[in-house]
Amino acid sequence: MIEDEYFLAALRLASGHDPIPGHVAAAARDAYGLLIPHAVTARPAGYSTARGVRGAEGPQMIRFVTDGLTFDLEVTVGDGLIDVAGQVGPVPGHGCHVDVRTPHLTLTRRLADKGQFAATGLPPGWLSVVCHRPGHAPVATRWVRVRP
Amino acid sequence: MPDARQPAELVLAAASGDQSAWDGLVARFGARMWAVARACGLGEQDAADAVQGAWLRLLEHLYDLKDPAGVGAWLATTTRREALLLLKKAKPGPGVLDVTHEPDPESAVLEADGNRLLWKTVATLKEPCRSLLTLVATDLGSRQVAVRLGLPVGSVGPTRARCLQKLRTLISLQETVQ
Repeated sequence: MIEDEYFLAALRLASGHDPIPGHVAAAARDAYGLLIPHAVTARPAGYSTARGVRGAEGPQMIRFVTDGLTFDLEVTVGDGLIDVAGQVGPVPGHGCHVDVRTPHLTLTRRLADKGQFAATGLPPGWLSVVCHRPGHAPVATRWVRVRP
Repeated sequence: MPDARQPAELVLAAASGDQSAWDGLVARFGARMWAVARACGLGEQDAADAVQGAWLRLLEHLYDLKDPAGVGAWLATTTRREALLLLKKAKPGPGVLDVTHEPDPESAVLEADGNRLLWKTVATLKEPCRSLLTLVATDLGSRQVAVRLGLPVGSVGPTRARCLQKLRTLISLQETVQ
C-alpha cells in the first residue's frame, strides 16, 4: 500500500534513528557535476540477456533510442567491475566521441568506423553513455543501474 | 545555514548552473528520500542506489519538470519507484524507466513540518500499535518485532497495516481540527 511506505518513512525521519549517511548526501551533491545542459535523452527500447557459460548470466544487451540515433550497449559484469561494448547508429560521422559515464568515473572514447566503442573496468552502479556530435546537441542514454 | 529559497527557485537556479541551489535541494530533501528508500525495505547499499537514481532522474528532467514547486513530492515518489524497481530486480526495458508519472499525493505526509506530531500521536495509540510502530520505524525486521511483542511472525505485516491505518485516521482528524 502506497501510503504505508510514506507514513513509515515519515516516522523513520522523525525518529532520527537512521539518518542519511554522509556519503549518500555527498554523492547526491556530486551528481550535479553530471548535468549536461540541454542534452537529448535516449530512452530504453529493448533489453535481453545472453546466457553465459554453465548457465551463468551473460552480457546484458540494452538498446536506447531517440530521434535519429540508436545506442546498442552490451554490458558485462565481471570481477566486480563493468565492461561496456557499444555501437551508435546510424554512424554519426567524423569527429564524434562518446563519454561512458558513472558517478565516479567517465571514460571518453572516439567512435570507430562503424560507430563502435568499448570501455572497461567501470565501477558498478549507475551508468549512462553520451554521444557528442559536432553541430548537434549531445544525446545521453537514460541512467541504468548495473550491479553484479 | 539552510538555503532559504523556495523549492521552485532552487530547481530553476540549478537548471541555470547554480551548484549551491542543487546542494540546497539535497539538504532539503535528501533525508526524506533516504527514509523512503529504507521504508521500502532496502538495505544500505540498495537504498543508496535508489536515492542516487532519483537524483540522476532529476538531472534528466531538470529542464522539463512539470511542477518545480512540487519537486519534493516528485523526488520522494521517484525514490519509491526506483526502490520498488530495485526490489523487483526489474530490467531496463521500454517503459520501465519512464518518469512520466505524477507524484504520489500520499508523499505529502513527508512534507509536514510537524513530524513530531506523528510520534506524539503514536504515543496515544494502544498496544501493540505503540510498540510495533516504534520498532518497525527503528529498523527491526518482522521476526524481531514478533519476538519482542510476542506476536506470531505472520501477523506483524497485517498488524502494522492496521496500526498505520489508525495513525492515519488520527492524524487526519487532527488536521481537520486545526
